[in-house]
Amino acid sequence: MEQKFEGAPRAEIRLEGRRAVRGEVVNDWGSRLQWQIKRDGQVLATPAARADTSYEHPDATPGEYEVVLQMWQYVNYRKTPEGEFIDSKFVDISNKLNYKV
Amino acid sequence: MLHIGRERIPACGDVTRRSFLTAGAAGLAGLSLPCRFSLEAAGAVDHSKAKIRNCITIFLVGSPGHLDTWDMKPEAPDDVRGKFRPIDTNVPGVQICEHFPLMARIMDRVALIRSLYHNSGASHENGQRWMMTGQDFNPNSVQPHSGSVVSRVFGPRGDLPASIILPGKIGNTGAGPYHGQTAAYLGSAHEPFVLGADPANGDFKVANLTPPADQDELRISARRQLLGQIDALQRRSESKSTQDLDASYARAFNLLTSPATKMAFELQHEADVLRDRYGRNTLGQSCLMARRLIEAGSRYVTVNHFDTVFNLTCWDMHADGGGLNNTYLDYERHLCPQFDQAFSALILDLEQRGLLQETVVAVLSEMGRTPKLNPRGGRDHYPPAWTNFLCGGNVRGGQVIGSTDKLGAAPHDYPIEPPRVLASIYHGMGIDLETTMMPGPGGRPIRFIEAEPIRELF
Repeated sequence: MEQKFEGAPRAEIRLEGRRAVRGEVVNDWGSRLQWQIKRDGQVLATPAARADTSYEHPDATPGEYEVVLQMWQYVNYRKTPEGEFIDSKFVDISNKLNYKV
Repeated sequence: MLHIGRERIPACGDVTRRSFLTAGAAGLAGLSLPCRFSLEAAGAVDHSKAKIRNCITIFLVGSPGHLDTWDMKPEAPDDVRGKFRPIDTNVPGVQICEHFPLMARIMDRVALIRSLYHNSGASHENGQRWMMTGQDFNPNSVQPHSGSVVSRVFGPRGDLPASIILPGKIGNTGAGPYHGQTAAYLGSAHEPFVLGADPANGDFKVANLTPPADQDELRISARRQLLGQIDALQRRSESKSTQDLDASYARAFNLLTSPATKMAFELQHEADVLRDRYGRNTLGQSCLMARRLIEAGSRYVTVNHFDTVFNLTCWDMHADGGGLNNTYLDYERHLCPQFDQAFSALILDLEQRGLLQETVVAVLSEMGRTPKLNPRGGRDHYPPAWTNFLCGGNVRGGQVIGSTDKLGAAPHDYPIEPPRVLASIYHGMGIDLETTMMPGPGGRPIRFIEAEPIRELF
């Protein structure tokens, strides 16, 4: 029986200073939930977001930061010879937020 | 030939009448529940012993690596300790994998058993049979699933079957058809009712409870009336067993037509926020359904997390690059989070409804995985050591029973074989293993299981 996932997950996030705060995830697939932090377009970190509802990235290097909440979308387990997934991937499930340092 | 779920079962005794009933009832219902109920009606069940707790078993098909989940060895060499880090739990001194943060918050309800082992071969099927039946495998004497044992001795409560498997039975795991999920010699009356559908599917319907499209409730009732008339004609010349059959057919009709029974399978009655809390996936929604079924009267619900180990993500982390290519990434992104969410939601939901003390929750698997990572970064089958856990019922949470050595290669203290886990589940359900007997092959009374419960759990 192949795995089924109902609906499309969605959550709202907001900034309190530089701290990102998330609301409840609707249509939660239950797979890995993570923050994606970018600076000037480059991914800096993807910390887990399941246990806590907020996260403040400790790096204060000057730049344009972007925060979004992501969830793992399992499609199948096909992987490259190097072991990376081919079809399954992380997808954005929230609005994106920006702040400057 | 009759069917229960997808399985063919032998027809019962009175062939002529049953042949009619098979044709009539199969068309009527799409299944042959009456056969099962007829055997219950024939005296298989001692309802006087009905005051026991319930059980929900979550079976992690494929077997999680114990070193990557609930028995971490952060001080071990790189090629043993693996990629994940341990985190603290709400029980001082007890750590589990970082990818179970929600479970870590409810560890005070959980009793980990870290010194499990068995000496049978390292196939999935050996472990499944040990953990489902509590018995070593003998093809000439197939043993019944623990849910079937409970069904046989304590019977159903209300219209729901006593033992139910969600979402489906274990299928191909590589080494034969015996997975320990049948009633075996206890008879078809006690076969687990198999959902046979995925409750996370948007258009989910219970395969075994959904009449064919052209047969609505009115037609079912009409056929019941017809059946009743034929029964009246035949009753003069038939034995008591025929009358027992009447009761079983009545129960089958009830299962098909009872609004309360149908509602137990309908997850749309749950709040969306609760469904999200369990996870909108096959495991999460199966765990939620398990709670609903226990609440509605079922005694023993088994949730299989996956029905095969081939060509899909599951706990069987060989990383072989082919059909068994689960890796750390599957654990980190999919398997551990999915289990963490479903399990913790189930425990808290049961607790909030006052059902946790009335329900033993057992998380079981076939074996452990090799302490040393294989050259591809996976771990292979390893029965000499693994971790499973219990909570609920009268199980005392917040403790660890047994331990493994520094490499997780063998029990260091308190080695425990699978039958003691089954004995502990029965004991946790409130079954007195000293005084409660079950019928063995040929009907002679035998003990539930030839093992003692793990006393420290209680």
